[in-house]
Amino acid sequence: MDSAADTLATILAGDRRRIARAITALENGSAQAPALRAALAAHTGRAHVVGVTGPPGGGKSTLVSALIKSLRAQGRTVAVVAVDPSSPYTGGAVLGDRIRMGEHQGDPGVFIRSLASRGHLGGLSRAAADVIDVFDAAGYDTVITETVGAGQSEVEITQVADTRLVVCPPGLGDDVQAIKAGLLEIADAFVVSKADLSDAARTEADLHAMLALRRRQDPLPPVFRTQATTGEGVAALADWLCARSARGTRLGSAEDRRARAVVRRAIAADAYARHLGLTLVEAGRGHATVQMTVGPEHLNFNGGCHGGAIFSLADTALGMACNAEGEVAVLIDGHISITVAAAPGSVLLARAEPVTHTRRLGVYRVVISRADNGAHIASLNATVYRTGKPLQFAAV
Amino acid sequence: MHERPPKVIVTKIGLDGHDRGSRVVAATLRDAGMEVIYTPPWQAVASVVKLAMEEDADVIGISSLATDHLIVPDLMAALREAGLADVRVIVGGIVPAADEAALLAAGVARVFHPGADFDDIVDTVRRLARERAHGATA
Amino acid sequence: MNAPHEPAAVTADELAQRVARWRQAYDAAVPAAEPVRNRSGIELKPLYTALDWAGPSHPEDSGVPGEFPFTRGIYPSMYRGRSWSQRQLVGLGVPEDYNERARELLALGASALSFLPCNSVFRGYDADEVPAALLGTCGTVVNHARDMERAMAGVPIGDISTALNDPAPFTLLAFQLAVARRRGVPWSQIAGTSNQSDCLSHFVANHMFFRIALPGARRIVVDQIAFANEHLPRWNPLSIVGQHMQQAGATPAQAMAFTLASGIQYAEDCLARGMDPDRFLPRFTFFFDISISLFEEVAKFRAGRRIWARLCRERFGAKDPRSWRFKFHGQTSGVDLTRQQPLNNIARVTVQAMAGILGGLQSLHTDSYDEVFSTPTAEAARIAVATQNILREEAQLTEIIDPLGGSWYVESLTDAMERQILEHIDRIDAAGGMGAAAQQGLVQRWIGDSALAFQKRVDSGQQTIVGVNAYRVDEDPASYPSLAYPDATRMQAYLADLAAYKAQRSAAAVAQALDGLAAAAQSTDRNIFAAVVSAAEAGATHGEICATLRRELGFGQPLTVV
Repeated sequence: MDSAADTLATILAGDRRRIARAITALENGSAQAPALRAALAAHTGRAHVVGVTGPPGGGKSTLVSALIKSLRAQGRTVAVVAVDPSSPYTGGAVLGDRIRMGEHQGDPGVFIRSLASRGHLGGLSRAAADVIDVFDAAGYDTVITETVGAGQSEVEITQVADTRLVVCPPGLGDDVQAIKAGLLEIADAFVVSKADLSDAARTEADLHAMLALRRRQDPLPPVFRTQATTGEGVAALADWLCARSARGTRLGSAEDRRARAVVRRAIAADAYARHLGLTLVEAGRGHATVQMTVGPEHLNFNGGCHGGAIFSLADTALGMACNAEGEVAVLIDGHISITVAAAPGSVLLARAEPVTHTRRLGVYRVVISRADNGAHIASLNATVYRTGKPLQFAAV
Repeated sequence: MHERPPKVIVTKIGLDGHDRGSRVVAATLRDAGMEVIYTPPWQAVASVVKLAMEEDADVIGISSLATDHLIVPDLMAALREAGLADVRVIVGGIVPAADEAALLAAGVARVFHPGADFDDIVDTVRRLARERAHGATA
Repeated sequence: MNAPHEPAAVTADELAQRVARWRQAYDAAVPAAEPVRNRSGIELKPLYTALDWAGPSHPEDSGVPGEFPFTRGIYPSMYRGRSWSQRQLVGLGVPEDYNERARELLALGASALSFLPCNSVFRGYDADEVPAALLGTCGTVVNHARDMERAMAGVPIGDISTALNDPAPFTLLAFQLAVARRRGVPWSQIAGTSNQSDCLSHFVANHMFFRIALPGARRIVVDQIAFANEHLPRWNPLSIVGQHMQQAGATPAQAMAFTLASGIQYAEDCLARGMDPDRFLPRFTFFFDISISLFEEVAKFRAGRRIWARLCRERFGAKDPRSWRFKFHGQTSGVDLTRQQPLNNIARVTVQAMAGILGGLQSLHTDSYDEVFSTPTAEAARIAVATQNILREEAQLTEIIDPLGGSWYVESLTDAMERQILEHIDRIDAAGGMGAAAQQGLVQRWIGDSALAFQKRVDSGQQTIVGVNAYRVDEDPASYPSLAYPDATRMQAYLADLAAYKAQRSAAAVAQALDGLAAAAQSTDRNIFAAVVSAAEAGATHGEICATLRRELGFGQPLTVV
């Protein structure tokens, strides 16, 4: 069996067969896997990771296929991680997503890999993060993740992406509400697919209205309209995507990108964050925003949000922000001040920013507010100790 | 180590479009706990090779009616050329006895005929996938 | 002297008592078991009586053939007036090979021909675009009008009816029309059917024929219907196909339901175009698979006639009774046939053919016993035709119209099938119609589930297939008939001829015609099929026409659902 270093070399060289085998080794949690993960980490952060998700029947695969065509026309190489559900009873799956992207079957600049949602050790988003890192290291410009169906995995996977697209079919109507709680808040853009259908305009209007109500942020995420079979609207979407990764709006410098890649992995590997349902909204060098929807499991005996959950949310944002440099930093002193009770069902955003740092210490402030109206909930002032040790994600 | 379930491609090359049989096989393999990639008919040989490579497939199942089996040797050659000689290939459908021998000689692991026992198909695929996993080099 | 006594009227109570008595005796003789069901899942009782069916439920059902809703037959005279047409599929090799077979059949008295093109043609390619080994093995290669002229040499195309297996964009029909024009045969005399015109069935079931993305394909179908309604009064431009779906695993009730739903979709597409239902409906025909489940098939067809008549009158607003007629061609089901002990298939085909005849079809194709292996040998094809002749002449099956009408079993089964069929249609309506349901993958899933369920019944032994899971014998696989491959030298000669043809014709005329075709596809109001005909007459090949339309309208990739 090849060493991790040899495998890495073949991945960096773009050897497609070895890339595929490396992905399998990571999926299986082979003996080589932890070393390979560590080796890959230094070579990630260049790719623009685009997460595509949305309710079933929304035309995601068709859209992704059209998007690939546009991106290829712009000279970008594209890798796709297509996630399909496995049967909880038999463990088997029909991986049908990539089939809908059949027009690219001859293009060497496109690599599609299917991922069944089966009981992945460490969780599905962890497995997806592994595949993304392999493609990232192999030099693919854009890595698209596509999740099918409804479920927590939808949200989980998207949190590892740099840009999140939520695809809605027309006729959603009141079901705009049905867009999985949390997706509406973290989406960077919405796409109304099948624009030729009569209720497409209505759905677009509904989305605009909902965004204006529930998100206070400047600017609001754009809503695109596409008809993937004719290609209408797809070029505009592709242009927007390319502009994002070229300008690095949220991704910043190369260091920011690398930080972002690290944070992606970190939150995917954080069992406690998953347990609480925390999702990453954005991150860069030294800063991060994490989101939590106050659910029944977060409530105290009074029916309000448990202070510990608020602290955990703030602490996770803190952890993401200060570990984004790639070295381990641990909380040594933190003071939380909760001024407003967070209502059950509300969506909270915790943004961690650096205040100052010395060689060994870092001072951060985390502010938690409501996503819909910006109301201040709590703030955490914290000091962390920078150990100087490299980040190592928990082994399987 | 957690071994992944067998990854199987069920596909048709050539010109025929009847896929009832291949659909039932795909569903049966899925129900047996395998990960199946089921393609529409008329796949080009090069596409099947690319698919097998990207998905790191263990077994390719070709469904063949009419005379499509005549180009299976082309697929075997293309797989070898791409460094995928370890991927197992089985063929199911209408294959005359004389042609069956030729297919096996070309490297096809097994030919199934109409009326084949589905347990036999499932067991064969499982066995072939296991062989590949254990014989495979990194 | 014993005189036959008048039958005494039996009261319902008296009958119920008799049946109860019978039931006791029956239960004593037969142990309790799982209910027996037919393929559509309808329970089959051991006995049916007047208690099960007391007469037509629909007040307008007069109970005679030729009258709305036509349960007993679409014509007053049925087979006494005119037998069903024997239309055997023919196709192999190069155009000259087809011509030979066609002339033989005509000499034997056939008045109708069927044309089966090569798989490469079905896929929308010219012969020089696919591996040569695959050419002409399942049908005849025809790539342009001159090929069609050769295939039809000496065949009076103005006098006989030709069924062309020809999906959108209907190039074979275009070639036929080009031949007619060259021979001076008026288009108004060209009779036949565009088999495989039903793109919806291809999208969901038999992908063999699916070439162009669904919205484009649907448009071309309506264009062709409009063209035929205007220029081809003896042509059936639409054959709505239930065969593919049943062969793919749909139960008989599902197959009928999905076919009728497709019919609804096409009718609504035509109505949306502003076409007159009394103009287009009379030229809608249907094509069904006939399984070996004899009574179920008869009930399926009777129910289908009834439902379609009501749809035409009430849903589409057709006023002419000719518009309400459910005309269909039936083909015995190949999926019931086995590779093991192939001669058994003759018995199977006989039962299937009987089901179709008793079900009132208008034309029939009987499979040859070796259909499982490849295109039939001449001897097997003869037996298939003889089967039809025997049923008609020796078994006198045609002398009585709807002979199973009035049978308590068949009538109550017809009602039960009708109910199930209507439920399925409702489900499709709820999804937005057949087009929408197909694009959502619903129909594919239903069909796939039925196929899987059937396979499980066979695997478990619940469904016996003679020679396969029971009554097996040791057979020498070498004794099975081998595939008939076309003559390789003739195919090479054909390819050389094709190259010469492409070189010799006017490249400018062809380019101009293909540009016109592309322009028609890009427009919203021009008739694409008319442009196909122009292209055919200008010498464009089948592959060129298909490639142009695929470019404009999208490559046809069916949605497969497991």
